[in-house]
Amino acid sequence: MSIDDGQLELIELRRQFGDTVALDGLSFTVPRGQVFGFLGPNGAGKTTAMRAIVGVAALDSGSVRWNGEPIGEDARRRIGYMPEERGLYPSMRVSEQLEYLARLHGLTPARAQAAARYWSDRLGLVDRSQEKIEALSLGNQQRVQLAAALVHEPDLLVLDEPFSSLDPVGVDAMSAVLTERAAAGVTMLFSSHQLDLVEHLCTAVAIIDHGALVAHGTVDELASGGTLRVAVKVAGDEQAGWLAGPAPGAGGLPAGAAVEHVAGGTATISLARREDAQAILDLALLAGPVEQFGFVRRRLSEVFRDAVGPSVQEPVQAQTPAATAAAAAREAYPATEASR
Amino acid sequence: MSARWWAMTWLVARREINDRARAKSFWITSALLLVAVAAGAIVPGLLAGRQSTARIGIVGGPAAALSRTAREAGQISGTSVTVVALPSVAAAQAALRSGKLAAALVGDSEVLVNRQPVTGSSIGTTLAQIGGLQKIYAQLPPAAATGIATHGIALPVRSLSPPTKNLATRITGLTAAILIYVIILTYGIRITIGVGEEKATRVVEVLLTTLRPVQLLAGKVIGMGLLALGQIAAVVTVYLVLGHAVGSPEVRSAATNIVLVGGLWIVLGYAFYCTAYAAAGSLITRTADAYNAALPLQLPLILAYVLTYTVIYASTVNPFFHVLAFIPFTAPVAMPVLVAVGAAPAWQVAVSALITVASTVWMARLAGTIYGRAILRTGSRLKVRQVLRSPA
Repeated sequence: MSIDDGQLELIELRRQFGDTVALDGLSFTVPRGQVFGFLGPNGAGKTTAMRAIVGVAALDSGSVRWNGEPIGEDARRRIGYMPEERGLYPSMRVSEQLEYLARLHGLTPARAQAAARYWSDRLGLVDRSQEKIEALSLGNQQRVQLAAALVHEPDLLVLDEPFSSLDPVGVDAMSAVLTERAAAGVTMLFSSHQLDLVEHLCTAVAIIDHGALVAHGTVDELASGGTLRVAVKVAGDEQAGWLAGPAPGAGGLPAGAAVEHVAGGTATISLARREDAQAILDLALLAGPVEQFGFVRRRLSEVFRDAVGPSVQEPVQAQTPAATAAAAAREAYPATEASR
Repeated sequence: MSARWWAMTWLVARREINDRARAKSFWITSALLLVAVAAGAIVPGLLAGRQSTARIGIVGGPAAALSRTAREAGQISGTSVTVVALPSVAAAQAALRSGKLAAALVGDSEVLVNRQPVTGSSIGTTLAQIGGLQKIYAQLPPAAATGIATHGIALPVRSLSPPTKNLATRITGLTAAILIYVIILTYGIRITIGVGEEKATRVVEVLLTTLRPVQLLAGKVIGMGLLALGQIAAVVTVYLVLGHAVGSPEVRSAATNIVLVGGLWIVLGYAFYCTAYAAAGSLITRTADAYNAALPLQLPLILAYVLTYTVIYASTVNPFFHVLAFIPFTAPVAMPVLVAVGAAPAWQVAVSALITVASTVWMARLAGTIYGRAILRTGSRLKVRQVLRSPA
């Protein structure tokens, strides 16, 4: 197996619609077998990039390579795609729809039928397989859409907002399937605005803004990058008074360190250098027994905001009221972050 | 184009056929069309059957002379006459009242009918006129009356031009024009709606990951075309079988050439228009806009269809209609009509067909370009010029 096997490369993608630059030299690589998140505010160019990968959007310049080669006719049959705005025939039955799409991807009638049954069963649609798509709830339509992307057992999955419109049970089912497919060696790229979900699910992410890459790496790398912070709590000191009055003979906080906030006696302090953490621990120990001490890991939402800049507000999806309510119900942002 | 290319295109076509064949509306419209065609084949036959024959009674006088008078009256009024000899005026009156006779000629004295028509002539009035002339001729010297027995009373009519196509042939031409018009319009709009729906629901985005736009377009028009052909075959079969069964004069005298020309033009017309209707569908973003998008394609056919009525019942064809029969947009309706009225020789049909075939190639290319560029462009409804100016 060569290093290029299963690897998806986006190389200098450029696309302009009139005066609007959708893709501005976007480049990044998606390795095989990882759940890979594709993030960016609305209008950042995610959908255009995903459409370019599956070949339904033209590029002004740049190229998409998979397994080290441009994506040709045969390779396209090995892609599973879920568009942002769902694409199913409203009056077709679930089973027929899945079989039809499987056949278009080259499966024999018998295999298409078996695969449609398997994925209907797997995604909890088996009772609905004879219903028309238009008779299904939004969430179930979403499941059919995922089944449609998976029915031909693709080697590359490109999923645009697969989690929108799903209830928490649906999110769990979808997450399990994506994790399983990645473990099976599928190359996967999915976009989402649900950053906590992405943080939980993805091995790596790419964040884009205005059509260009602004951050890229594993979730661990990104979470441990940026401003270093430590969280410190001295036992019995609910106000973190130790910060205000150091013991006689002791120095204050190291130069460049600053208290960001105090909550429940735990002080979060930003550092200029990693070595300063030791000086802060020493300072806290002078005040009493230290109950909590550790580096603060950045949330992905924070990485996202840092990457796309302050002008971008909390990304809001255009959704139906019902979908928005469902999304709100599963949002896991802590209150402090949401109100920031 | 490889075998796989065609296999994929056939998958698309088959989906179209299954999809339409499952729709109740398809079966309802098919049934209505068949009922209309069945009525068209049976009703004129029944009506014609009543009008074209008449029983004429003769009472008294020389039976041979009276029979000749009755037959000549039938010839002049276009009625096939059966002569019945009756013993008395009373018997004739009874037969007239019971409706067994259309009229009775009583010697050289009078013609009896059950009731005079309010206006116009009837077999009765014609019989009275011929009977009256016969009576005058009978009083002439035998030398002067020579020839009456063999040639009849009326002078022969000599026409300078060959006879025009009879009404039955013309009606067949009109039926063909209506069928072509209805099939192209209904299947055309179905294509526009189908393409618009695929675009509006974004299913096209999923399909185009494995299909080329031209495959999707070809599969759709082939699927719809096969359905249309099936429907036409059913309609023509019903028309011919029922028409022959009831002895409809329209069906019996329907010239084979009109059926053939009608069949040719329905195929050519569909081929010419189907890709254009698909291109119209690719311009819209909501299925509700389908009818507006398809309207420009319907207008030429509507024009040709409306003008058909000025030709079918006229003795001459106006030059404008003749020109329409050579323009691919109107030829599918106009040319079969021209053939039905006997105004288009075979070479004209061939020339017009060639023009349409060449234009179909041009139309398919243009429509394919529009479709390929517009099918993935969302937002507001697109204009043809806007699409053609945009990069591929």
